[in-house]
Amino acid sequence: MAEELVLEMRGIRKEFPGVLANDRVDLDVRRGEVHALLGENGAGKSTLMNILYGLYRPDAGEILLHGKPVSFGSARDAIQAGIGMVHQHFMLIPVMTVAENIVLGVEPRDKLFLDERAAETRVRELSERFGLVVDPTALVSSITVGQEQRVEILKALFRGADILILDEPTAVLTPQEAHELFEIVRSLKADGKSIIFISHKLNEVLEIADRITVLRRGRKIETVPREGATEPSLARAMVGREVLLRVDKPPATPGDVLLSVRDLRVIDERGIPKVRGISFDVRANEIVGIAGVDGNGQSELIEAITGLRRIDGGTIEVAGQPIIPRSPREMLDAGVGHIPEDRQRRGLVLEFSIGENVALHDYAKPPDSKWGWLFPQRMIERARRLIKEFDVRGGGPETRAGGLSGGNQQKVVVAREVDRDPKVLIAAQPTRGLDVGAIEFLHRRLVAERDEGRAILLVSLELDEVLSLSDKVLVIYEGEIAGEHVGEFSEHQIGLEMLGVGKKTEAA
Amino acid sequence: MSGIWTERLDNPVSKRLRDPASTGYVAIGLGVFAAFLAIPPIEARSIVWSILVGIVATLLGIWTATRGRRRLGYGAAVAGLIGMGLGILATRSGTGNLEAVFNAALIAQMFAFATPLVFGAIAGMFSERSGVVNIGLEGMMLMGAFWGVYGADVGGSWVVGLIVGAAAGGALALLYAYFAIHLRADQIVGGTAVNFLALGITGYFFFQLYHGNYVPTGVSTIPNVRIPFVADSHFLGPAIGNLSLMIWAGFGLVIVSYFVIFKTPIGLRIRACGEHPRAADTVGINVYAVRYGCVILSGILAALGGVYLSDGFGGGSFNDNMTEGRGFIALAAMIFGNWRPFGAFGAALLFGLSSAIALRLQVYSPSASTLFNVLPYVLTLIAVAGVIGRSVPPAADGRPYKKQ
Amino acid sequence: MSNEEHPTPPAEQTEEAKADISSAAGRLAVKQRAGGMIVPVVTALFAFLIGGLVVLGTGHDPLSAYRDIFNGAGLNWVFHPTTDIANTAAYNLSQTLLQTTTLILCGLAVAFAFRCGMFNIGGQGQYFIGLYVANWLGYSFQGMARLPHVLIAVVGATLAGAAWAGIAGVLKATVGAHEVITTIMLNWIAIWVGEWLFGDGGPLQNAANKTVPISNDVAGSAQLPVFWGQQQLQGLHVGFFVAIAALVVFSLVLNRTTLGYEVRAVGFNPDAAAYGGISVRKNLVRAMAISGAFAGLAGALDMLGYLYHFGQSDIPATQVGFLGIAVALLGRNTAVGVGLASLLFGALLFGTTHGLQSGVSTIDPALASNLTYIIQGLVVLFVGADLLVLSIWGWRKKLRPKHREATA
Repeated sequence: MAEELVLEMRGIRKEFPGVLANDRVDLDVRRGEVHALLGENGAGKSTLMNILYGLYRPDAGEILLHGKPVSFGSARDAIQAGIGMVHQHFMLIPVMTVAENIVLGVEPRDKLFLDERAAETRVRELSERFGLVVDPTALVSSITVGQEQRVEILKALFRGADILILDEPTAVLTPQEAHELFEIVRSLKADGKSIIFISHKLNEVLEIADRITVLRRGRKIETVPREGATEPSLARAMVGREVLLRVDKPPATPGDVLLSVRDLRVIDERGIPKVRGISFDVRANEIVGIAGVDGNGQSELIEAITGLRRIDGGTIEVAGQPIIPRSPREMLDAGVGHIPEDRQRRGLVLEFSIGENVALHDYAKPPDSKWGWLFPQRMIERARRLIKEFDVRGGGPETRAGGLSGGNQQKVVVAREVDRDPKVLIAAQPTRGLDVGAIEFLHRRLVAERDEGRAILLVSLELDEVLSLSDKVLVIYEGEIAGEHVGEFSEHQIGLEMLGVGKKTEAA
Repeated sequence: MSGIWTERLDNPVSKRLRDPASTGYVAIGLGVFAAFLAIPPIEARSIVWSILVGIVATLLGIWTATRGRRRLGYGAAVAGLIGMGLGILATRSGTGNLEAVFNAALIAQMFAFATPLVFGAIAGMFSERSGVVNIGLEGMMLMGAFWGVYGADVGGSWVVGLIVGAAAGGALALLYAYFAIHLRADQIVGGTAVNFLALGITGYFFFQLYHGNYVPTGVSTIPNVRIPFVADSHFLGPAIGNLSLMIWAGFGLVIVSYFVIFKTPIGLRIRACGEHPRAADTVGINVYAVRYGCVILSGILAALGGVYLSDGFGGGSFNDNMTEGRGFIALAAMIFGNWRPFGAFGAALLFGLSSAIALRLQVYSPSASTLFNVLPYVLTLIAVAGVIGRSVPPAADGRPYKKQ
Repeated sequence: MSNEEHPTPPAEQTEEAKADISSAAGRLAVKQRAGGMIVPVVTALFAFLIGGLVVLGTGHDPLSAYRDIFNGAGLNWVFHPTTDIANTAAYNLSQTLLQTTTLILCGLAVAFAFRCGMFNIGGQGQYFIGLYVANWLGYSFQGMARLPHVLIAVVGATLAGAAWAGIAGVLKATVGAHEVITTIMLNWIAIWVGEWLFGDGGPLQNAANKTVPISNDVAGSAQLPVFWGQQQLQGLHVGFFVAIAALVVFSLVLNRTTLGYEVRAVGFNPDAAAYGGISVRKNLVRAMAISGAFAGLAGALDMLGYLYHFGQSDIPATQVGFLGIAVALLGRNTAVGVGLASLLFGALLFGTTHGLQSGVSTIDPALASNLTYIIQGLVVLFVGADLLVLSIWGWRKKLRPKHREATA
């Protein structure tokens, strides 16, 4: 067992406007080791690895490769130094074959021509050596996601990578494919390669890693060997024990069921089931929060409920009326308001004024218009009223929405939705990218709307937010509800459920 | 046992044959044949033949459509009907007229009309394969047309003409590349601007340098290539025995560009830049450099097509706006040919044939002549509407790339 | 579809990602609004400057050339205003305004489509279709009273232009065919249709004289009244006011109707528009049709206003539809902008052909008309580029502070 250190990262610091992504992080990796980098969203894992791969420059700190200091100006430098990275989102060209994608940039030549045969042969060799089964002549558009990942790994190996970084590799895989991936990782390890495995899934990490480094909020918490680490101990390190900012809220008195979801199923574009039979109710005067790590199906769930995505199974009822939303319009008319995840793309037309944005759903009806003729004055009046009510700063009714700060933009979106007096309000990542003041305002507003009798469904990646706002918390993991909590929340328990504790990756 | 049969039928060739798409293409072929029947050399005089073949084509087309290949099937059915119609029309014209229009020399004319389109289409293909839409082909071709003749005149030789013309096209392309790639200006706007510029520059200097309307006669023109034995043969002689050098160069260009794009490393990289520039960037390819190179090359090639237009086809003369939209037809050929060299070549030949027939029909039937002039555009509309398979441009075509 | 295609570096939403949000033409429109009035003026000045350099480079005096163009366009009329049409400056101005009429409408044809995020290069073809239909309707119905005859011809031509553009709109909405390609193809089809219509034996060829490829004349009852100048000498007709009215209509429709609201929303952000319940497809078709209507109207006004007939040789001679592109771009796709830009290009068009013939500079009109193309090309080129130069320093400032995405 070689204890030789192939990689050392010391004191890495990286700051982005408003965020300290890496705060004096250390990491060392041995030869032939699978080293897991564990942490929640926002912990700084991807940033650290992007620095290693040459995509970012660290503000401070150093990187040593085989004991020698190195500095990467670009991904090319890192590749040449023997570092390969498989990103979460693949960089493959669909219309080209597997072999072509792998050799792009380092093509084997036969005089002036591309030596396709040599490319194919070499790819097959690598394939067999590491158990990465894939057909070199197949088009990337025709292979599965699991196979695509293998192609990305082969890409790195083809260029002579000794250190391989896998960024959340199982996020896009089925359990079956994840199992196969682990086999591949083991065989790479046996060949003396070092693997850095970024993940947030405890069960997987414990299965495959030799050592585990935990990051939390930009800092390294600990590095432990797998023997002796348990899911609870890791979870504690990841989640930490911090005081929550609890919103002061009166207890809920839930009324009638206004939103009812039964056995909902959603399959994404690639044929992977993202929502696998979810059922829940949201009552009036209640905030139901869905907690979960990004990528476990919550986005697809919301999109299905709000009419942006096709439903592949299950039913939805709004105030007792069954409805199959084929378009956002249907859900809007049914009395469901939606604060979309991406306010700049879905929520607002940035070039429109606040007044025009506020009218986005209702411009075709009185009082905003009649017989096709707009009454901008009415829109402006309404906007003025809402600006005052929601304390939107940065402009008046005729100010361009794009000129507002993020928080104020979000206020406009919320104002518009709430003003329509919906029965159900769905808030998806409502405080993403906002400053503390705006967050506080929005939280208070959501509670106020709850007390107005609405049923509120909250989806957020910020666990704190979910815990402090919700009356009932549902934990989503791999497309299913992993836990339901009412009353006093055990943050610890919820954290474990979010990480899939107790769930093993399914065997073949 | 059925084992033998199923085994046999499982090989790729027979799979292809059973695929409804094959039937669709056969149907299109039959539709064309329905028209072809009625013209020399077959010159069937009874409308029965065209009708029969046309009906078969239409039926096969409908069958294809019901087997799932709807667009292809309906396209084939339409081809069958059109072919039938054209065939019937042809049988109603006098054989003398038909023979005057449809003879071996028509083939030579087809090549002549097609060649600027070939150069233009291949030019466009290189640019778009790397991800840059080049609407300015028309302008670059025009630059080549004027400056080529100028170069031949001043330099005393058509070779100089070719060089000067190519340089002019390349220079305009460089300007366009700068705006489209570096400044990431909208490529349609930039291309349109380039066309105006070319129109103005060539017109201006045409007047400035040649004061009247004609380039002095006797300018060195691009020579023809006379193939010794072939030129004397009865059919092949007028058809291909004495074609311009540039026409042969065009053939060569198609073949070479096929190999370059699909069989060389640089071609792979070009295609990567056009499909997924970010992926290309992450493996170390300089996307900007590749795009610049391809755009400039496209300018040079389009210009060469233009030089042929004025100094070869045109016999060493120039007039304002000589290209008359050929750059756009070349783009259409590129699209129709699905951004592939041989496809574009086929489309260019088709459009060239159409123009040649239109010219010949002018004397006999101006309406029919117009019909054939319009055909390339209509066909492209149909192609873009996805009737004949999907027109799939490179995925990142037209989107400026910003390096992270 | 939540769909992250490329990993975005945190805390900085790249321009490319932002651009992917709306269409390219929408992007263009968005950046244009940010520029204000200064930028188009600077663009135009810069284009003229370079044009002047070209003139200088070939041995002529740019200043006197530009002055002749100025006078030729009748812009010197403002110094000595008079309604007497015999006055040279007055006559020149009337001719300039004649060109401006057409350019306004052709510019609107491009501008309206741009506001919906589409690039309508088909103005030339739509204009031709309007010409043809106006000629046909104007020639038919002889003996009808003036008002109905004019109305029929104008409305018919406008609708025809709308339908022609509508083809491209439908293709885009249904199969996603890019409107640039389809409108270019339709342009050429329109040109050839015209060649056929007015050629030997063509259906609209002059009934009286079958030897020349020219159309019939529009009947007197369909001709538009001339209000400044004499009809025989190509006076300025009431179509001018129609064009001005069109500018007003353009602005009203876009800013004061639900249709305009939808069109603008789709142009800026189709995702948000769809989310708000707007049918993106319907609006794509509508916007193209309305654009075509403007161009068709241009054709009608020209035919009924001063052309009265049209021949095969006239077809290649007019580039007015393409000039509309420059007008719209320079005018930032707004009513006021289009109006001013049309005046500029109208002056340039007429001033170069006319002014230089009778002026003191030594430039031949043929040279000068090509100068117009060069300037036009430069304007379009710089418009395309200045937006980016602008955006690079302008938008950087705006983009930075807002995005604080959580890091992974």
